[in-house]
Amino acid sequence: LPLSLLNAAQNKPMLVELKNGETFNGHLVNCDNFMNITLREVYQTNAEGDRFWKVKECYIRGSTIKYLRVPDTLLDAVKEEQTRAREAGKSARGSHISGRGGARGGPIRGGARGRGRGM
Amino acid sequence: MDKPKREAILDLSKYVNERIRVKFTGGREVTGVLKGFDQLLNLVLDEVKEAVQEPEPHVRTLGLVVLRGPTITLLSPVDGLEEIANPFMAQE
Repeated sequence: LPLSLLNAAQNKPMLVELKNGETFNGHLVNCDNFMNITLREVYQTNAEGDRFWKVKECYIRGSTIKYLRVPDTLLDAVKEEQTRAREAGKSARGSHISGRGGARGGPIRGGARGRGRGM
Repeated sequence: MDKPKREAILDLSKYVNERIRVKFTGGREVTGVLKGFDQLLNLVLDEVKEAVQEPEPHVRTLGLVVLRGPTITLLSPVDGLEEIANPFMAQE
């Protein structure tokens, strides 16, 4: 769930806090399986909250992220997308499996047992 | 499975010969001109300056430096970096 949520959140604004306390408000450009992210139009704040920078673009290592905050509107939109995607995936897989399972049941069982004993 | 080759999500070739700011685990911060990089995010920077915080904020120059990827926490171009007043409500 977490990484797919992040992937679905591309181009959306979010807040990232790092382990060192710095915060980054920006739009997600890209992310990978390590949770490394690239942000655009970023407002950076230091840990004390007394200095601010505007950064066009930045890359953040996943291992330094403490947490990400995502707007609720995004959360609802992504939840819908995910349930739709899952249902579509399930129905597609369900039909395939039922078709193949019946077909495979006979030949594979006989073939596997035969080969297993031979080897 | 997803992609045949793992491509870094950050395309560093567009930063070559530009000044970038890099932060490390341990809290050090450095700016330098990107000369080279690899998939692991090891970087070669030239004309490097370190922004030292202890005990007094000052800058020390380091010249040509190799930065190890695993220790890098943040990367951003210096171009477009500006200090601003509080854009939000006051936060602690």
